[in-house]
Amino acid sequence: MLVLRRRAGESLLIGDDIEIEVLELTPQGAKIGIRAPRETVVLRKELKITKEQNASAARGPATQDLPRAIEKISNKTSRLFSRTDKPQ
Amino acid sequence: MRADMPQLETKYFGSMDYKEESVFEFLAGLPAFEHERGFVFIEMPEYAPLVFLQSLSQASLCFLALPVLAVDPGYRLAVSVEDRASLGLDPGREPAPGDGIVMLALVSLRDGFPPSANLMAPIVVNVRNRRGLQAIRVDRAYSHQHPVPAEEHYEGIC
Repeated sequence: MLVLRRRAGESLLIGDDIEIEVLELTPQGAKIGIRAPRETVVLRKELKITKEQNASAARGPATQDLPRAIEKISNKTSRLFSRTDKPQ
Repeated sequence: MRADMPQLETKYFGSMDYKEESVFEFLAGLPAFEHERGFVFIEMPEYAPLVFLQSLSQASLCFLALPVLAVDPGYRLAVSVEDRASLGLDPGREPAPGDGIVMLALVSLRDGFPPSANLMAPIVVNVRNRRGLQAIRVDRAYSHQHPVPAEEHYEGIC
């Protein structure tokens, strides 16, 4: 990873048409401005990860496979899934 | 069950009666499912503690989820000020279980992959106004693919 030190008001360029400017630095975080062509998608990384993970979670087990799929968890975690072994 | 109850087509449990007040409203949907605004949370004793997040508009869409604290009893929430306001919670402080919130981690159960729960972006629901959202953390404190169950927590769950 290329690491650069920039102060507020300074920018850097990626390729010919993307500019990242550090607008403001506070203890709560850095305020970043991005100039890029309209067709360039700019996403917070954690949002992209969440979208991918949600899409994966939505492709859950098929209806008839549910008991078997749950077993994959419950075999490993009988304590998590069993209500009978709670302390009396 | 009453005859005038609305019916819901579900992915796993066929047709079910449900009450309007058991619908949770996700005004922004979920990332990658932005148009899904209504979910019914289904709990079945034989699958406890799993919770099924059944889409109201699409029978084939049903997420599996676990209570965050069942995955990690020491889990600490980090809900942004904007998300707290959207949920109708006090924006000035971190919500806590006593505030009438439910915290769930979506589970990924795909063939060929180890089962995991998304602790990076928990589903947070305010039970009092039935509003929910996916509260994406911006820190790196928790994984989006936390193994289920976490072995180090075997002892602490029951």
